[in-house]
Amino acid sequence: MKRWPALVLLAAMLAFLLRPALFVPLLAPLAPEGAPVIYDRAGLLSLTLAHLALVAGAMVPATLVAVALGIFVRRPAGEAFLPLSRVVTGFGQTFPPVAVLALTVPVLGFGTWPTLLALFLYGLLPVFENTLAAFSALPPSVVEAARGTGMTPRQRLWQVELPLALPLILDGVRTATVISLSTATIGSVVAARGLGEVIIAGLTSQNLAFVAQGGVLVAVLAILLAQGFALLSARLR
Amino acid sequence: MIGLHNLSKHYDDLRAVDDVSLSIETGSVVAIVGTSGSGKSTLLRLVNRLIEPTAGHVTLNGQDTRDMPAFELRRRIGYVIQDHGLFPHWTVARNIATVPRLLGWPKDKIRARVEELLRLLSLDPATIGPRFPHQLSGGQMQRVGVARALAARPELLLMDEPFGALDPVLRGKAQADLRAIQQTLGSTILLVTHDMAEAIRLSDRVAVMRAGRVEQFGTPAEILSRPATAFVRDLVGEGERAFRFLSLIPATDLAEEGAASGQPLPRTATASEALDALIWQNAEALPLEGGGRISRAALLRAGHP
Ligand SMILES: Nc1ncnc2c1ncn2[C@@H]1O[C@H](COP(=O)(O)OP(=O)(O)O)[C@@H](O)[C@H]1O
Ligand SMILES: [Mg+2]
Repeated sequence: MKRWPALVLLAAMLAFLLRPALFVPLLAPLAPEGAPVIYDRAGLLSLTLAHLALVAGAMVPATLVAVALGIFVRRPAGEAFLPLSRVVTGFGQTFPPVAVLALTVPVLGFGTWPTLLALFLYGLLPVFENTLAAFSALPPSVVEAARGTGMTPRQRLWQVELPLALPLILDGVRTATVISLSTATIGSVVAARGLGEVIIAGLTSQNLAFVAQGGVLVAVLAILLAQGFALLSARLR
Repeated sequence: MIGLHNLSKHYDDLRAVDDVSLSIETGSVVAIVGTSGSGKSTLLRLVNRLIEPTAGHVTLNGQDTRDMPAFELRRRIGYVIQDHGLFPHWTVARNIATVPRLLGWPKDKIRARVEELLRLLSLDPATIGPRFPHQLSGGQMQRVGVARALAARPELLLMDEPFGALDPVLRGKAQADLRAIQQTLGSTILLVTHDMAEAIRLSDRVAVMRAGRVEQFGTPAEILSRPATAFVRDLVGEGERAFRFLSLIPATDLAEEGAASGQPLPRTATASEALDALIWQNAEALPLEGGGRISRAALLRAGHP
């Protein structure tokens, strides 16, 4: 895999976040006459960091829960819960995040929490399904050897099964993270801080320059994160 | 001494293992031979409790194996499988160290033991030790599998078709190496194979299995000379009985006084190898390294019970 396109992208994004003025000529044609070209109601860098924090805040617990659930339903004690878990995680993914926001704002109030919940539910399925697939794909002779050498179930899990399943699980985390990066933009509807704020401001003031900078930033973040995950799971394989 | 007492494993109506009793003397090799699906692997996995029996039990040096946790039992029993089952994310050295680490041996003792085993299996510790399993040849993987099973000096070694994945040349070499290692270490081995020739070559006693039951349990000579059932006779095969019989006899047992010309036979040769050499060199007799000779007449006399 060639690394330099991602590095160029990263450099361009950092330049934009730290010196947005440099990009004014590029974006000016998209902004209405006399309107600001660069979003100015909050720093783009701080919004980007808030956006990433939102995604991380949802994906870290979603990953832990989904992996733990995936491991649990493969144990004899958890087998009975497999169909139910599939329904629940599948529902979390198919239920539109906007609807989650609408339903939870009355309970959780405006701000970060409803968005975190929506992203968390959305992220469960890809990680859960990949965890199941990763554990089914373990070579039977390796699992047999792990038992045959006298590892306890816990030692088998931590020393053999999880390390071998990790690359495939990470692929699931990557999918979920990339999706939630763009999904997180709708959080701004309920006043969660993030890059969605820039896009929505652009829509309401008919400033395409805002829409473009918010949208491109989210897209670039998604590409860079996907590359980062791919690099990590290649290293683990 | 390992005892299998009336072991049975039933899957619904299928009797995978059906009332099997065997004993394995300490320091001896017992081979289980049978066609595919006769219950060999199931029997082996009952011994280290990878599966629990429907009935019966196993004793390991007088101890009932039901009286200890299964994982503790398995650390006392080496287990070698056809596909090796090496841990792909660990180096060869770390793979071999598996059971000693589980047992909490000190680090330097583990390192010394790993090196000793690599040498025992003719693998260079400096070059092979740090490799990962996918960087090994089939023969090397097989030997690492054996080294891992031997690491914690197990009281019993279970081997399920350990040479099944090797080509015929490597297999012959691996069999000879195993026999040599077994004699050096005095290991107790229960070995599963579908190859009667391999069983006869490697073991002190052979158990012939069919449909979950043991049809005959005896020394290789007994199996060859007095097959208990038609099934055992078929498994032995009519074609090479005499050669197999001769392969059980050391050539030195047939040595007589006197000299002969021709390429001398090594003292480790079997009678079958001696006959092969004799026929090939078209000789009446061949000298034995270190004195004495072996005659064609003596070989022909020895070639049947
Ligand atoms: N977990 C299982 N469930 C049902 N049947 C099994 C199971 N394991 C093995 N068997 C059956 O038991 C018989 C013996 O199998 P196995 O011990 O693997 O034979 P072998 O090793 O001699 O080829 C076969 O008919 C096999 O299909
Ligand atoms: Mg088998």
